[in-house]
Amino acid sequence: LQRKLRSIWSISLLILLSRYKDRHLHMSVFSQSFSPCGRFLAAGNNYGEIAVFSLSSALSPDATDLSQTPILTFTAHEGPVFSLFSTDSHLLSAGNGEISAWSWAELIKRNTKAAWTRRPNYKSSLEIPEINAMTVNPTENSLVIGGGDNNIHIMDLESGIFKSVLQGHTDYIHCLSVREREGEILSGGEDGAVRIWDHRTGQSVHCIEVYKYEECARPQYGKWISCLTTESDWMLCGGGPSLSLWHLRSMSPTSIFPLSGCQRQANFYQDMILSVGEGQCVSHCLLGGEVKAQIPCTPHSLNTLALNLNSTDNRVLTVGGSSHQIDVFTNLSYRTFSLSF
Amino acid sequence: MGAVTDDEVIRKRLLIDGDGAGDDRRINVLLKSFTKWCNSTGSPEEGFTQYQRMLGTLAQCEFSMGKTLLVYDMNLREMENYEKIYTDIEQNITSAHDKISECKKEIQRAKRIRKNRQEYDALAKVIQQHPDRHETLKQLEALDKELQQLSHIKENVEDKLELRKKQFHVLLSTIQELQQTLESKPDSPLNS
Repeated sequence: LQRKLRSIWSISLLILLSRYKDRHLHMSVFSQSFSPCGRFLAAGNNYGEIAVFSLSSALSPDATDLSQTPILTFTAHEGPVFSLFSTDSHLLSAGNGEISAWSWAELIKRNTKAAWTRRPNYKSSLEIPEINAMTVNPTENSLVIGGGDNNIHIMDLESGIFKSVLQGHTDYIHCLSVREREGEILSGGEDGAVRIWDHRTGQSVHCIEVYKYEECARPQYGKWISCLTTESDWMLCGGGPSLSLWHLRSMSPTSIFPLSGCQRQANFYQDMILSVGEGQCVSHCLLGGEVKAQIPCTPHSLNTLALNLNSTDNRVLTVGGSSHQIDVFTNLSYRTFSLSF
Repeated sequence: MGAVTDDEVIRKRLLIDGDGAGDDRRINVLLKSFTKWCNSTGSPEEGFTQYQRMLGTLAQCEFSMGKTLLVYDMNLREMENYEKIYTDIEQNITSAHDKISECKKEIQRAKRIRKNRQEYDALAKVIQQHPDRHETLKQLEALDKELQQLSHIKENVEDKLELRKKQFHVLLSTIQELQQTLESKPDSPLNS
């Protein structure tokens, strides 16, 4: 509850601050998404704005300072844009408890009219829960939304109807992941539990309370899970507890990563794990548990990491956090340049 | 030939020998001296020396023409040589490109293998923590045996208990019967 109150207060403060010229100092980038063609990057910040950057011009040999600024910035929501997701044609953004869809083709033409805006059915009408995570379940063509009302809402992308609600978490949900092959949805929340749901029955198949495992737990940070990602039989989760790699078939933690600070996003990439969180660096780790490298970046604390795997020309890693600058890595070993919001 | 303008001819001649101090001049001088020799009215010795001189100039012209032809041949051969080197280098570039893409594929394969190895290691670590299957089976067997022995002993003890119970029952019933018989005939002179 304290966190919710704090977030409401900070939202109103930030809306006020966004009117002033030093808004850049207080800007935080919370979410990123690449376009389906791989040539554009959309980033969402705490003022509710979305900026679209042209990667192809920023990466071209004759790039100027101007190409590192957005081609389009617009206010998408009243609250911070905590989550962005790209489908084949649209950019979905979540903010202020609602989801808006923007056509990528229209955004490139600088047309900022939303294709649609929908809101899940929240039980309480007093407080609008924020949406922290969104992902798409491709087999069912449905959008899975995790929010501040402790529930997971599933919306059919074609019809826009909210099909079902998965209940079980006792505190708000931070992160989501979908395992296509097994047809499972995984969610991690503030209550410290990682729940595995079967998308057909809507039942919670497993519940892993990471903080109860001695090797992972870090009581000084808390029990919340802020990052969750899966790849075939493996799962990475972290937050209050240390970032740990789990084998889902045996439901056992296989490696613990000795990273100080709470990790906010982690990804599997080739034979490595890339992770960002509190700390001014991108951590490269091996599956065995060792931290291979920590690459410094501009923001002091990072919130989001995105890999552009859609494109062959613009294969970059971008990270954003508590700064108006988004670092771009063309080679994973060092920061190439920064995009400015 | 008629289409070539005077300008072209002049330009070409200037290019080849613009300074007027070379072969062109020699040929002009030769022509002039030839016409002069043809129209000469001097002595036969003078005519002969002029004739010798003209032969000399002609030889010089032929010599320089030979030189130019050789240079031309040489240039042609150099061109061929350069063409060959050019095609060689192009082939090398394409093969290097191919090798690079092969190596890139190799790297991807190697990364996948490394990832699989690491996953294997991680799982192996977890499995190692659990006790060995043989040991557990042996422990189970030993426990089974113990259980069997104990149940055997329990059976024996129960049998013995039953037997004693029956014996005591027999004893007590005989005593009771005797008591009853004694009580039923109290005034019969039994005790002797």
